[in-house]
Amino acid sequence: MTEEPYRWLEAIQNRREYIQDHLKGATPVFAASRPEGILLLGVGHGQSKIFEIYDRHGIAALGHPVDIEKVRQSAIEAAHLEGFNRSSRDVTLRRLIGFSLSPTLKNSFEQIHSSPLIVESIFAELGDMPAQDVLVRLHHDGNHQYATSGALVAHIDRKLESEALAWLTQTLRPELSLRDTSLVLLTAWRAITQQLSFQGLVPDSEAPPLKEGRRVEAALLDRRSKSSVHYRKIDFPNFPA
Amino acid sequence: MMNGDFLALLPKNPFGQLSGGKAGEELTLHATTVFAFHCSAGVIMAGDHRATAGNTIFSDKTEKILELDAHSMMAIAGSPAVAFEMARTLQTTFEFYRRSQLQSMSLAAKIRSLSKLLRDNLPATLQGFGAVSPLFAGIETDDPNARPIIQFYDPLGAQFEAANFASSGSGSPTIRSVLHFLEKWGNPRPQDMSLEQAVVLANRLLMTAAEFDAATGGVHPDRRLYSTLKLLTRHGIQSLTVDEHERYWQRAES
Repeated sequence: MTEEPYRWLEAIQNRREYIQDHLKGATPVFAASRPEGILLLGVGHGQSKIFEIYDRHGIAALGHPVDIEKVRQSAIEAAHLEGFNRSSRDVTLRRLIGFSLSPTLKNSFEQIHSSPLIVESIFAELGDMPAQDVLVRLHHDGNHQYATSGALVAHIDRKLESEALAWLTQTLRPELSLRDTSLVLLTAWRAITQQLSFQGLVPDSEAPPLKEGRRVEAALLDRRSKSSVHYRKIDFPNFPA
Repeated sequence: MMNGDFLALLPKNPFGQLSGGKAGEELTLHATTVFAFHCSAGVIMAGDHRATAGNTIFSDKTEKILELDAHSMMAIAGSPAVAFEMARTLQTTFEFYRRSQLQSMSLAAKIRSLSKLLRDNLPATLQGFGAVSPLFAGIETDDPNARPIIQFYDPLGAQFEAANFASSGSGSPTIRSVLHFLEKWGNPRPQDMSLEQAVVLANRLLMTAAEFDAATGGVHPDRRLYSTLKLLTRHGIQSLTVDEHERYWQRAES
């Protein structure tokens, strides 16, 4: 049936709906470039959403845990091979996403006789200064957009995602502490999950109450770290002020 | 790749041979001095900065104490081409495992990883141009009561835990003799020394080794040239700065 172009397009559309259906209950993840580094944040429910990829690289993702794991492992393998065969400075998101992950996701999405990878993600690459930070929004179909510094949101609903990003761009300021930045991100998380309007939204002063079993998960790609490894997990209740 | 084995990944994506010694290579770190000993603060690992090629001093700025990850380090003696490649392989292997498996590799596995690289290097070792005789120091991160340990290896990969100290390279007999004497009759013994005392001892040991071994780069406080020295504790690895070396040295010598 897929020999006919229309059938193929229909099958692709069905896959989009299948993925959207799977991601209905997923909550967004965020990345924000800060003077002290790149903050990755999400709200987990048993499974982790934030991971270290390489010395200066991290990922925040939502989707099927098995598929997140596949993308995470692929990224780690590609990054370590590149870092070993060349140098850690040669591990860049432009190459990692452009030549490895994005084609893999696109192929997976278009191979209509096998299951697609159900992952929406943000990749982050720490630069020497905020202007050199690279954030990439990688979609389940391999499509991706780059951002230099600033913030990114990954969510299944594109409209809510862009509204949240607009609000974050307007609200996040370099002088905010890490804790305040995380509260801004959590406010956006609450607005998306509760489908609140971003117009007139004011950042919360406390973390939103979470359903049992859910917890805030955060990590910082720390620009101040003297070690080659910049990624560190942050325990939200003990967030540095 | 669900088992976190970076070395299994490499043959599928070859770039160069791992055991990298080349026939006719002259640069060697056999003529070197590296050592490690316990002090009250943790494990001190130190070495000189010299690399020689026959009678020629090839470099006096060689870094021979290499951090493998946040809680393990290696001192290299032997063929530098192979030794540096081993260190780089281990660095990637340990980090790859930690990131992909979401847990650190056990200390025993780290020790065995170096042993395996040495054994894989057997052909070059037997041909006489690629032997490496390293020291390793590490701590089990999952055990809150663990203390750092020192391992030494023979060039074929056999591993031994050092009770108090270990040394390698051409200046090592001198170091071993002095440390043995101090552990038996010293007051304080090196294992009871404070960090400051241990740093001064390390520099004096290297000075002494350089007296008897022409290929060991010495310590020259007048030129602010001290040993390369790292301290391993439960909290990680600390590299001593020249300023710290100088401060401790001046206090000890005044």
